[in-house]
Amino acid sequence: MLKSIIILIILSLCIGTGAWLFFIWTVKRGDFDDIEGPKYRMLDDDDDQDSQGEKHEE
Amino acid sequence: MITTDTCIHCKLPIPQGDLVVDEIDGKELHFCCHGCQGVYRVINGAGLGKFYQQRDWHQEGVPQGVFDKAFDEALLAGHVFTRNETSAEIALIIEGIRCASCVWLLEKLIHKVQGVETIRVNYGTHRAQIRFNPKETTPKEIFTNISRLGYLPHPYTSGAAQQAAAKEQRSLLIRFGTAAFLSMQVMGFSFALYGGYFHGIDPSIRETIQYFAAAVATPVVFYSGWPFFAGAWRSIRNKAPSMDLLITLGVTTAYSYSIYSMLAGGEVYFDTAAMIITLILLGRLFEGSARNRSISGIDKLLRLAPESANLMAGENLQVVASTSLKPGDLILVRPGERIPVDGWIHRGKTELDEATISGEPMPVLRRQGDSVLAGTLNLSSSIQLQVEKVAAESFIARMALMVEEAQNRKAPIQSLADKVATLFVPFVTLTAAGTWLFWFLHDVQSTAALLNAVSVLIVACPCALGLATPTAVLVASGNAATRGILFRGGDILEMTARIGTIAFDKTGTLTLGRPTVKKIIPAPGQSEASLLKIVSQVENGSSHPIARGIIDRAKAAGIHIGPTSSVETVLGRGLRMVSSEGEILVGSLAFLEECSVKIPAVESGSLTEVYVSLAGLWMGTLLIVDPLREEAASAVEQLQQIGLRTVLLTGDRLATAQEVSSKLAISDFHSNLNPADKTEWIRTHQEAGEKILMVGDGINDAPALSLADVGCAMAGGTDIALETSDLVLTRANLGRLYEAIYIARKTLLVIKQNLFWAFAYNLITIPLAASGNLAPVWAALTMACSSVIVVSNSLRLGRVIRRTFSVAKA
Repeated sequence: MLKSIIILIILSLCIGTGAWLFFIWTVKRGDFDDIEGPKYRMLDDDDDQDSQGEKHEE
Repeated sequence: MITTDTCIHCKLPIPQGDLVVDEIDGKELHFCCHGCQGVYRVINGAGLGKFYQQRDWHQEGVPQGVFDKAFDEALLAGHVFTRNETSAEIALIIEGIRCASCVWLLEKLIHKVQGVETIRVNYGTHRAQIRFNPKETTPKEIFTNISRLGYLPHPYTSGAAQQAAAKEQRSLLIRFGTAAFLSMQVMGFSFALYGGYFHGIDPSIRETIQYFAAAVATPVVFYSGWPFFAGAWRSIRNKAPSMDLLITLGVTTAYSYSIYSMLAGGEVYFDTAAMIITLILLGRLFEGSARNRSISGIDKLLRLAPESANLMAGENLQVVASTSLKPGDLILVRPGERIPVDGWIHRGKTELDEATISGEPMPVLRRQGDSVLAGTLNLSSSIQLQVEKVAAESFIARMALMVEEAQNRKAPIQSLADKVATLFVPFVTLTAAGTWLFWFLHDVQSTAALLNAVSVLIVACPCALGLATPTAVLVASGNAATRGILFRGGDILEMTARIGTIAFDKTGTLTLGRPTVKKIIPAPGQSEASLLKIVSQVENGSSHPIARGIIDRAKAAGIHIGPTSSVETVLGRGLRMVSSEGEILVGSLAFLEECSVKIPAVESGSLTEVYVSLAGLWMGTLLIVDPLREEAASAVEQLQQIGLRTVLLTGDRLATAQEVSSKLAISDFHSNLNPADKTEWIRTHQEAGEKILMVGDGINDAPALSLADVGCAMAGGTDIALETSDLVLTRANLGRLYEAIYIARKTLLVIKQNLFWAFAYNLITIPLAASGNLAPVWAALTMACSSVIVVSNSLRLGRVIRRTFSVAKA
């Protein structure tokens, strides 16, 4: 009983630590520096190439 | 089929005779000039024509003339950060970014430049970071490419203070992330321990879980909680008990008692220590990000003046750094360029756009001998400038300094929670000491003395006290934000609630900052429509704000604006055009009289007059006014009703100030003020004990906005004003100001209620703990209860705000 609890706790801590390290990595990479941009960038990043013509006036 | 009289690229009306027709992809497209046509071909040729469907422009673009700007290689080299032989980086600020599509376009197109490895443009700050291969391209080439698209790049090296702030914000984020992650673990362990307390648990398992809880809570307390320890130490050194000290006291006693208790086989309270730190760090994180923006405001201000200037050395032009200019030097400023340093015009005359400096929308004529300010935009023709002051002493640099000083001078608002802490800390410490002394004298041998003293410290733990302010602020600022009201921090909310005086700037704040035709006075025998038709022929195609106002009026009257032949601009006076019916003159009274047109007197009051003549005969006069905002009068009345004093501070002449203030029932007004006068006015009244909120929009208001207890800017104001202010109204509606003050007052009330509850809880539990009558678990339970009460009271605030204003709106 005690042994299994300890194993499970340690296991959960390991997974958690993994997530924590990932978080630190993203902060250091600067992913949180511009939190406004991505929501627009997401809309732009579809790579359809058939937009050569001018559809402005339609 | 495309029939349009606006340029497909820049969307400006195409002046008659300037039309450029091009056929691209089988379609006939109209441009206003070859520059626009070129840019359109670049963008469309790169397969990025989508830009034209996606763009959503709200702000003015960059000045004409940037397209052929030359960049100085040596100047840019100083800003390059070399990583190794094939990799270097440069940071820049890009002027002219208006929407997300611009960011998208820049990233895509610059990435295609040979040798550019990565480019990242920050949407919020307009800063770009470019990594490139110095063997394949040069910074100059990159800059030229950016400017060819119609954006204006400035090299940018951030100041030490700013880097430190960014670093601090990052470290705060990491501290919070760590605390949140570990606190979740601690809570899991605590659940098991609570269960064990009520239903029984094997002592060995309990002990194991306690050890894990201790292991996980330790980094939260000592790493994540470090800023509180530092703050507590500062407050001890300054002999001013603060919230930090109280938090530290609570956390350390909960933590060290838990360690002691764990070793002695008792109950632990690691969760309390960890959760306090996590929640309070969250509050600080929100405040920090809002605050950092005001620092970048000062930065933008300084970047308004260009970094390079054209020095005239005899016959030759030489591009030099603006900072190297000395008083007496002669420089050339072309149309479309901003003026690099303060000086006076040595030769030539031109119209300057001083809107960024003064907030006044109308261009001003400057001629030989007039002094001009750095950062203003040269609109019409090249001028030679004699340098008066070095760059570091220019108007704009002094302004930045004033803003910075005002921000530093502004006493940090002592928040309500801090005031409570000042009383509470000594009180708790004395009670704990008293408890220990009492029980020690009672029975020297027993451990009860120490135990009871510790439980006093634990129940005095400022859980609810710590939550009282941040939760209310979070709820209030969230709800305010959905209504277009942004408070830059909790202390600003509190301060806004205490405001007694509101000072308004005029142009752009009480008025729209957009001239319109107020009244049309046709000459006898003329109709309004025929007069408008004559004027609009001449004004069509001009980008002068007054011309735009007139054209708008003509269009609204359904007048078809006929073809325009060439119009001659007489700088600062008016326009002249020869039509089939004779010479048309449009302009000031003096201009027409010089051309020997006889004009009867016109009653204009404080309005701007535009006179019109055809073939030497007066045809009529238009009266132009910068109209008041529709809601200005009712908003001012609302503010006066809730007991606020309203004041008008303006740089305008007396007559205009008088008229505006009488219309709005503002009895107190001051005219002809320069930026320093405004700050001076605020300072004197602050010294007299008034709490002042200042509303303004121009760079000239920036120092006053910073110095005022609360500085407020509205959408449509200059970036600088927006970023140096504490309170931002994202919808240009003065009614929101009343809402902001209402919300702030309600929030302060809720904070006071919360603090009362938290305090009441402590008043009851501390005596119980001191007398040795409070079992630890009950202490924990009541503590949780008081926190829940405080949080739900804060949530109630959100409902109150939503209800009040949805009803008011309906």
